[in-house]
Amino acid sequence: MSIRLTLRRIAAGAGALGAVAAATLLVASPAHAAGSSKVSVVHGIPGQPVDVYVNGKKTLDNFQPSKVAGPLDLPAGKYDIVIVKPGDPVTSPVVKVDQAAVPADANISLVAHLTADGKPTLTPFVNDTKTLAPGKARLVVRHTAAAPAVDVRAGGQPVFKNLTNPNEAKADLAAGTVSADVVLAGTSTVAIPAADVNLAEGTSTIVYAVGSAEGKTLGVVAQTITGLHGTPGSVNSGTGGTADRGPAAWTYAAAGAGLMLLLGGALVLRRGARRVVGGVRA
Amino acid sequence: MPARSSDGASPQTAAGARPGRPAAWVAVMIGAVLLAGAAVAACAQRPAPTVGAAGAAALASATPSPSGGGVPIVAGAPPPAVAAVPPARLRIGKLGVNATVNPVGVDERTGDFAVPPSVDVVGWYRYGPGLEATAGSIVIAGHVDSAQQGGGAFFKLRDLGPGDRIDVTGGDGTVHRFGVVAREIHPKTAIPLQRYFARDGAVRLTLITCGGPFDSATRHYRDNVVITAQPIAT
Repeated sequence: MSIRLTLRRIAAGAGALGAVAAATLLVASPAHAAGSSKVSVVHGIPGQPVDVYVNGKKTLDNFQPSKVAGPLDLPAGKYDIVIVKPGDPVTSPVVKVDQAAVPADANISLVAHLTADGKPTLTPFVNDTKTLAPGKARLVVRHTAAAPAVDVRAGGQPVFKNLTNPNEAKADLAAGTVSADVVLAGTSTVAIPAADVNLAEGTSTIVYAVGSAEGKTLGVVAQTITGLHGTPGSVNSGTGGTADRGPAAWTYAAAGAGLMLLLGGALVLRRGARRVVGGVRA
Repeated sequence: MPARSSDGASPQTAAGARPGRPAAWVAVMIGAVLLAGAAVAACAQRPAPTVGAAGAAALASATPSPSGGGVPIVAGAPPPAVAAVPPARLRIGKLGVNATVNPVGVDERTGDFAVPPSVDVVGWYRYGPGLEATAGSIVIAGHVDSAQQGGGAFFKLRDLGPGDRIDVTGGDGTVHRFGVVAREIHPKTAIPLQRYFARDGAVRLTLITCGGPFDSATRHYRDNVVITAQPIAT
């Protein structure tokens, strides 16, 4: 599934945070019947609680930074999303998206965050919910911080290189705990210090780099999608055949002997009966 | 009168011509009894059918009580690693089973459940829930038999039925008691593995082995025997 995000920044009327963005999310329409999509909202703007309106209805009240809300079940369609400071009217948004297209049967994270140059924005990401192989976990890293390109290191080694805002990198890894940090791309200058991330089997862990390098508010927000586990192909636990429970051998023997006795006896009786008949006639 | 005389004559004639007739009657009767007995025994020996499937399905679809209206909001922190309590020993009193449980995953080559090679040892699916679980299916699979080692720990698994007790001892020494809810027989080609390996629904113990007709060409049984049990108060 491909996304093309077009952001047209329109002159903001009011307030320092009044950047207004109109985003159009174009997603290849799936061939199968349309169903609802799951939409999570991720708050990645430090220090700014917000109210979130969806199609004019307040959906999240006083939503705090670093929190993840949802998922909401939204039927495919177009949605107007407005984010305001708590209590503010929808006419003075922090950021808003008109007619954001939600495709069918998708899992989407709508992220309120800062652009590379520090302006509030909303970016939708389509989450990869493909089933994982047994024993695997998915790690997705999204650069949604006011910061330059970064490398993500696991155990000291760069695993995702030159990641820029607002892009993602991902990999399916063996489940377990990884120690990860974020450095400025191509350097060993730590932007976000190392933290242990538990990658649970059969889940996708999405880590958002958020905040501002300049404002010294860089940090991470994490979201987890569960239920992506695979199953073993099958359970094969017998090669002997001794548990194939047809009737036991003695039942066949008994049935065979019984049949022979029955037929043999009947034959003898019938022969005798013929002789009797013959005797009568004589 | 001639009729009577011929009637009177016939037993004599017959008696003279059939010295084996009483023996033949006995043979017929014994034969009939043997056949009937064999038929009854064959019916009694038929593989145990599925029982309690509705109960097992209900456990799988059980959902935690809704947390009230509104959109759920969680802290954007990765969930902490949960310390799994691996099953270490499995006891089934009715079957005389007392087996070591080893943590296993999948066979890298085939993608199948990595059933422990020893037929006396059973395997806990370590990627799924352990005894610490608050939801989902704790899966233990074991051999019904093997060509080399003979009958396995789960040779008589299909004899379990609703109400039978299963005790699982965790690696931490805690004993968890389960009561059988269902015994289900599925062809391997149609077994709902996603349900048996689910991480959601009520906590339940799922024991799996092989059963049904054996194909001596492929050395595989056609079916899986699945026992579903739910925790019972200790």
